[in-house]
Amino acid sequence: MRLERAKAGDGHAFDELLAPVLDPAFRLAMTMLKDRGAAEDAVQEAALKAWRALGRFRTGAELRPWFLAIVANECRSARRGRWWRVLRFGDAGQLGGAVASDRSWAERIDLGAALDRLPRHHLLALTLYYHLDLPMDEVARVLGCSSGGARQRVHRALAALRPAMAVEVDA
Amino acid sequence: MTPDEREVRRALEARSGEVSPEFRARLSGALQDGRPSTNAMPAAAAAMAIILALGSVGILLMARGANRVSHQGPVIVTSPSPTPTIVQKVPIYVPLFNQLSAPSGNVVWAWVADGRLYRSTDFGNTWEERSQPPVPRVGNADFSFLNAQEGWFLIGGANQPQCFEGRAQIWHTTDGAATWRKVPIDGWNLSYTSDSVGGETCKQGISFTDPLHGYISAWGANRHPIIYRTLDGGLNWAGATLTDPPGFVTQTGTYLRPGPVSAFGSTLLVYAWSEQPGEWMPASVYIFRATDRGSTWSYLAKSFDIAFHTVTFLTTSRWLQIGNQASDQETTDAGKTWHPFTSDYVAAAGLPGVIAFGDELVGYSTNRGGIYRTVDGGAHWVKVKTPGT
Repeated sequence: MRLERAKAGDGHAFDELLAPVLDPAFRLAMTMLKDRGAAEDAVQEAALKAWRALGRFRTGAELRPWFLAIVANECRSARRGRWWRVLRFGDAGQLGGAVASDRSWAERIDLGAALDRLPRHHLLALTLYYHLDLPMDEVARVLGCSSGGARQRVHRALAALRPAMAVEVDA
Repeated sequence: MTPDEREVRRALEARSGEVSPEFRARLSGALQDGRPSTNAMPAAAAAMAIILALGSVGILLMARGANRVSHQGPVIVTSPSPTPTIVQKVPIYVPLFNQLSAPSGNVVWAWVADGRLYRSTDFGNTWEERSQPPVPRVGNADFSFLNAQEGWFLIGGANQPQCFEGRAQIWHTTDGAATWRKVPIDGWNLSYTSDSVGGETCKQGISFTDPLHGYISAWGANRHPIIYRTLDGGLNWAGATLTDPPGFVTQTGTYLRPGPVSAFGSTLLVYAWSEQPGEWMPASVYIFRATDRGSTWSYLAKSFDIAFHTVTFLTTSRWLQIGNQASDQETTDAGKTWHPFTSDYVAAAGLPGVIAFGDELVGYSTNRGGIYRTVDGGAHWVKVKTPGT
């Protein structure tokens, strides 16, 4: 049993357990931190802490929401440092994908700026639901609330984004 | 402008990125190096000694970098000796401590898993190493001190619900952990065995309120939790069950797991969180109270937040749930009502640290590779000097 071997300290087993959730974890960290090095740090630290805490992980439970919750908290810790506020604009590569039109390009820049200003718990809710495409009950488990509560948080996050967008446009 | 969901997805995608093969390989390498030990206290001592000896600015910078993970590989010094000579590069950073006991505001004990026992009698400003019970390996353990001299260790007997640690022991010191005496337990078999009620019980969370009265929390995957109590310093033990609180039914795989008992005069408090199949986060955390030295327990309240399993009792009526800044909560009426509480304590990576209050205002916590202290009842926390350095 891979989980039992990992609990017993088998690094290979834990590595195998982690492999399927590494990608969403990294995408979550990247979205939260906007910095590849910081995201790698956060995921690595989360992985080691998860391994330490694996004894508390119950057989049969889903690893992904558990690990994503640890990554999210690690990102929150990282974001408390002053360096994360350094925003990186102007890099077209970061926006990714083809730019359909001047208007959508501008909108996306504005939306990116609005995401930068969004409180972290709102950004986390949006990332889990819209970027990682987690089902709402799994979003709830990462956030530590009920499914209804998670749905509310996602809606509140969207609502919080809209005023930020409006401010950006007005400015 | 109101972005539609598609635009939000695009904007989030723009911030994201793929895992690089190099990072995957680096993380795998870190995992193959072995599970991170929680015993890094000697490492901290070694790092400081070497740093001072060399006086190297470069090493100082590297040591600073060691207090967070770096993909460039920070330097941490590891050694089993307090005067270490081995310097080893490891790509990880792990918390240093995992147990605290604060019998009063100024006296605090810190124990590192598999490692060392330290005592401070000046609010954590200075530390001295003390001996721990003379057993080959102090595995899962909890300890409780009454003051700077007298305390107990509960060793083994508790792990995950399976409780495969085997026989548990209780050790007692009255000379500030200079020497330890194994308590000849009678009347309660502390070894892990299935009992008549069904299912094994895991013991964890020892708490003594005076030289005679002590408590140990026990649970099992198919039974109600039990709070064992002794009236004679640990020789004899008897158990009292925590019955199901409103809305909760103990059944196979769904059970309550109690934390350690907190004592305030004749009032005892204990929290217990729910465990259920397939879930890693509790559905609820309940608080129980006893006013007869633990003969009987009754449900008192339900906690506000389930993000962390623990409830910190500062008095019989003021409790905190902190560590998750977005939802830190306080009650001042024994759980009847909860309200937001502002604290700068944030638990690392969703893993709750140990929080131990010596009195209503002064408390200590383990977090982020160090010990933190509050002198204002949990609102502000500052890192104190690391034991062993």
